[in-house]
Amino acid sequence: MLLLTDTLAGMASSDPSPALTAGADRTPFEEEALTHAEQLYRIALRLTGSQQSAEDLVQDTYLRAFRAWQSYRPGTNLAAWLATIMRNANLDELRRQSRRPVQEPLDDDGDYYLYNRLAESTPQPQDEVLARLSGTAILAALAEVPENFREVVVLVDVGDFSYAEAAGILDIPIGTVMSRLYRGRRLLKRALADRAGEWEAA
Amino acid sequence: MSADPCRGAESLLQPYLDRVLTEAEVARIDGHLQECSYCSDRYVFERSLRTAVKSCCSEEPVPDGFVERLRRRCSDQA
Repeated sequence: MLLLTDTLAGMASSDPSPALTAGADRTPFEEEALTHAEQLYRIALRLTGSQQSAEDLVQDTYLRAFRAWQSYRPGTNLAAWLATIMRNANLDELRRQSRRPVQEPLDDDGDYYLYNRLAESTPQPQDEVLARLSGTAILAALAEVPENFREVVVLVDVGDFSYAEAAGILDIPIGTVMSRLYRGRRLLKRALADRAGEWEAA
Repeated sequence: MSADPCRGAESLLQPYLDRVLTEAEVARIDGHLQECSYCSDRYVFERSLRTAVKSCCSEEPVPDGFVERLRRRCSDQA
């Protein structure tokens, strides 16, 4: 896990890098970090649900990252390091607002559920439905997926992080990443199926 | 994928598309998909759905001046 404290402890005991020398220039690090800002923003938008909150979260993330920049190990995955900081910043914000949401949704349908539901009304769902599936419907359905499932889906399916990277970012075992990811995608399909009527109307 | 091969294929849909199955498992699924249009339609749909999810999240525009505001905020508080 890439917890900041662990990383700092690791750095103190071994692997002294040039970045640790006093007065090292932070600018190259800042420039490289900023190349990930848009990717982080898109993840933040799905975590927070609003543009303003997403922008605030990314700003908070970069302020934290720049303060802690010497604990970043050059050559390791900077995007994952930043995403870890962002995830912790988001947790802090949620705690501050005391709105850590419900963890376990009740129902879980199989992976074919959405297709089967759509096939009831459309002969060729794979073409017809995806053509009708607006981005707005997908984003709204994604927002309905409980946060601890949604964050894994967003990291892997939007952020392109691997299972292992997501496990590091979220500080959970890979097996938990897989179960939440699979469940989260099924919940997304469930939410899309529940919105099927809306697409028909649109 | 023993008693009910379709149920078995459904349960491996996600790891299959994530490319985390063993070669033997992939071969078993591929064999089933070749002879089962029920499952292969659903696999194709799932793949397209993922592409749609990814593109609608990635195509959303970043607000005007986002990176500039970020730079300014960071240099103010550096």
